[in-house]
Amino acid sequence: MSFFEYLKIALPQIWVGLMITFRVSFVCLLIGMALGFPVALARVYGPKWLRWLVTGYVEVFRGTPVLVQLFLIYYGLPQFGITFSPFTSAYLAIGLNSGAYQSEYFRGAIQAISGGQMMAARSIGMTRMQAIRHVIIPQAFRFAIPSWSNEAVSMVKISSIVYLIAVPEMLYVAKLLMSKYYNVLQTYLLVGLVYLLVIGLMTLLLNEIERRTTIPGLEIAKRGS
Amino acid sequence: MPKPEKVIVKIENVHKAYGKEEVLKGISMDVCEGEVVVLVGPSGTGKSTLLRCINQLTIPDSGKVWVDGVELTNPKTDIDKARQHIGMVFQDFNLFNHLTTLDNIMLGLIHVMGMKKEEARDKALLELKRVGLANKSENYPGQLSGGQKQRVAIARSLAMDPIVMLFDEPTSALDPELIGEVLTVMKDLAVGGMTMICVTHEIGFARDVCSRIVFMEHGEIVEEGNPDKMLNHPDLPRTKQFLGKITELH
Repeated sequence: MSFFEYLKIALPQIWVGLMITFRVSFVCLLIGMALGFPVALARVYGPKWLRWLVTGYVEVFRGTPVLVQLFLIYYGLPQFGITFSPFTSAYLAIGLNSGAYQSEYFRGAIQAISGGQMMAARSIGMTRMQAIRHVIIPQAFRFAIPSWSNEAVSMVKISSIVYLIAVPEMLYVAKLLMSKYYNVLQTYLLVGLVYLLVIGLMTLLLNEIERRTTIPGLEIAKRGS
Repeated sequence: MPKPEKVIVKIENVHKAYGKEEVLKGISMDVCEGEVVVLVGPSGTGKSTLLRCINQLTIPDSGKVWVDGVELTNPKTDIDKARQHIGMVFQDFNLFNHLTTLDNIMLGLIHVMGMKKEEARDKALLELKRVGLANKSENYPGQLSGGQKQRVAIARSLAMDPIVMLFDEPTSALDPELIGEVLTVMKDLAVGGMTMICVTHEIGFARDVCSRIVFMEHGEIVEEGNPDKMLNHPDLPRTKQFLGKITELH
């Protein structure tokens, strides 16, 4: 079978796998953001008990391999009678893991905003919540974009580990193809190429978002020159 | 100059310490309506802390502060509401970097005063005009010079209809040639009858418009009086020495 004949068979299946890769990455990034942003705010502005609580969450999920977290949720929890489907387990494990990392990116962004911004907001009579909402958050989101882009890009790659619990994403499809056609080199090269292409496109998109949300007059400061 | 009667800011025995470092050692002071008070003293003397203790951005350890008859140090006071009418201008401007100059001024009008957008826009434009920057309404802070930034910051405070304005070294972060434009705005305010407390070493400003110079050192008021007395024949040699030195420099 020539390489092109193989492509004709493999590509449609890889495409299906890629869609699942996207789905897992997208859902996990969203869960991670929904968790990470409030956690970051809690760590900076929350009361002491809450800071402790969320710091515990962040340290546990950053301090253990995501694979361990995935296996604990998928294979471990059923021992307590809690059973999740492979997809749900994937969303939970990687989403929670990403939340811990994203909270650190957002925390860094919040702390990069000078204390003077909060003081100025309070001095015109804004409440703490108003200041956070109208002054801190809009700036923190912008500051977080570069590191968040990094998280999005690595998510697409990290999500491949869910093939271990039989979520049929791209790497899982590749395994199936190989067991059928024994085309190790071609299959992995192909899959690698698809990842490279996808991530290249994502990077362009994210750079464009970063460019468009840059605050006029602050471009130079951002470049650090 | 006839002494104004109504006390706007009353500070009574205010103490503040950071750890073991006692920054304010029992400051008491009255500022009357229309008075312009200039606080001077070596750095680290607690002038800025005192200013922030007035609007409770820094909470004093003990002592009381009243503004316009309301005791701000009383925990029952709605401090957000009170702060709205105490303007504050910072050394490093602290404009909201993600907003245009117009939006910087509108933010408080909309979210604190509850104005409608159009109404807030009109008022904000008026305030920008007052500081001579109506043509910069759509610019972002990053696109302005330091002097322009500080004028916008003053406009942002003025928009909230303050009963007193606090200035925390408003010209210290500016290039020398930009100081004048900010001082002009401040002088106009003073002449217009605004009650002002200014931490500044601009002795020219103090001589021309202020009603009282307060010399602070080591968390205490050393001497105070009208500019003529303080600059020309103060009671204490230390006052003479310090004011003499900064008069030479500014």
